[in-house]
Amino acid sequence: MNSASPARRPALALLLAALLAFAPAVAAAHPHVWVTVRSKVGFADGKVVSVTHDWVFDEMYSSFATQGLAKPGQLVTRDIFAPLARENAGGLAELGYFTTLKIGGKTAEFGPVKDGDYWMEERTDHLVAFHVDLRLKTPTAPGPYFSLLVADPEYFIDFEFDDNDPVALVSAPSGCSASIAKPKPLEGQDQQKLTESFFTNLAPGTNFGFKMASRVIVACP
Amino acid sequence: MIRFRSLSRAAPALVALAASPAFAQLAQRPFMVGGGEGGGGASGGLTGWIMEMQSQLTRLIAADVHALHGDPTAIWGLIGFGFAYGVFHAAGPGHGKAVIASYMMASDRALRRGIVLSFLAAMLQGLVAVALVGVAALIFNATAPEMNAAADWLALASCSGVIAIGLWLTVTKGRALLAALRTHFARRAALAAAPVYANAPWRPAAGSGAVVAFRAGPPDGVAAAAADDPAACGHLHAPDPAALEAGFSWRGAAATVLAAGSRPCSGAILVLVFALAQGLFAAGIGAVFAMSFGVALTTGALAFAAVFAKRLAMRMATGDDSRIMLAARGVEFLAALLVVAFGLALLFVAGSGA
Repeated sequence: MNSASPARRPALALLLAALLAFAPAVAAAHPHVWVTVRSKVGFADGKVVSVTHDWVFDEMYSSFATQGLAKPGQLVTRDIFAPLARENAGGLAELGYFTTLKIGGKTAEFGPVKDGDYWMEERTDHLVAFHVDLRLKTPTAPGPYFSLLVADPEYFIDFEFDDNDPVALVSAPSGCSASIAKPKPLEGQDQQKLTESFFTNLAPGTNFGFKMASRVIVACP
Repeated sequence: MIRFRSLSRAAPALVALAASPAFAQLAQRPFMVGGGEGGGGASGGLTGWIMEMQSQLTRLIAADVHALHGDPTAIWGLIGFGFAYGVFHAAGPGHGKAVIASYMMASDRALRRGIVLSFLAAMLQGLVAVALVGVAALIFNATAPEMNAAADWLALASCSGVIAIGLWLTVTKGRALLAALRTHFARRAALAAAPVYANAPWRPAAGSGAVVAFRAGPPDGVAAAAADDPAACGHLHAPDPAALEAGFSWRGAAATVLAAGSRPCSGAILVLVFALAQGLFAAGIGAVFAMSFGVALTTGALAFAAVFAKRLAMRMATGDDSRIMLAARGVEFLAALLVVAFGLALLFVAGSGA
């Protein structure tokens, strides 16, 4: 007589029932903050030297960020936003500015950002804008092509390139052009990760936002 | 009240844990919204569709708040979209639904109570968000970082509460499991020494006497009831429901509601602050409670699933009563451990921004 199996059987039934019940509800959490991205890639002497971001936040996050900072009817200026901008820039530095610049298969590193390289302000349409200037530690030749990705790996923030004006190339060698590549559909394994994230109550783990992100491809033939 | 003494003893340790660098990171994450809620997502398939719905709903809610300025009927759209948002949103990480479901699995079989608990937790969550934004933003004109700090404290309290409840459940369910194990093995030992056919002439008389004694007065009364039932030939009969249900207490349930519901959800905070900025705080409150109803629907369904799963498991468990009891206690014990795991996971992964 196997005494373990009857105990195991209900556990299995339980798991099955739970899976069945939970399956339709396996929705991912979703981003809470939406950012429209416009970026500039700067060149000097034919090499990539900088990435400049102008991010515009959605109106809900914008009203959250501006809450309590200015008198009614007044816009929150860069000065007023300075402490919050500094805090955000500090957090961004630890996360690589949500920016992945891959040239020749290598991820470029950015130097430290100083005061004045970034600011935050409330625009006249009441949306909050964040600006940051990133300089490459080592200027790098673009090669035949390179890619720029802006993404929060945990996907709390949804970064989308601006439809009309996603990326500008500044002082680029002639012939360089930029295009947007949309994300690939998710694979089975990714779906499983999401399911796990449901059961563990946690974010689906690192790099998830990357899979969701659009990529700028710059070709310099 | 041993359980509440141990709970209060655990709390300072948890606060110390949460003060660790992992939790401190929370504050440093850029463009954060308080409540310690995760991101996550997908683009393809059903999950992608649901997530896209979420994003669309957020925009629709924002649009309806704008529309309210000129068109009061937009409130219905706002409430409808808020409700839908809640239904989808509760399915995402970080909503205490797993806590409620596990709690139900560990301690209850009554559907109505499960749904009531889910409902109360969701309403409390809405209420906490309204109170937080109402007090912090409306009265003290707090800034985003200040509201984040307040929300993070609430989230911390919620995580600690969940862990404390999980530990308490683990202790009580562990004890019940041990008791069930003891009963089970005592019965098996007795049966092995002198099975049901003990009266057959080739069995030693002494063993037969032991079994008669055992069956006449088993420790938990369940086996006795079954033994007296002529239809119950030693397999597939339901144990006394009251015995299976042991362990539910309204005090424990209230603590669960409090712990699961005391964490405001980031989405609700955003909607409220946005409505406030538009001068339409009341509409924001309406939207948030509509969201809470939606959340309650999803968590209620999950509590239902948990209870149903447990019943199904019990029905599928074959064998004598002591074994069914053992299975029930085992499942409850595992569910209790799950509650602890959820609490710990929420606490530590909160640090990475989830």
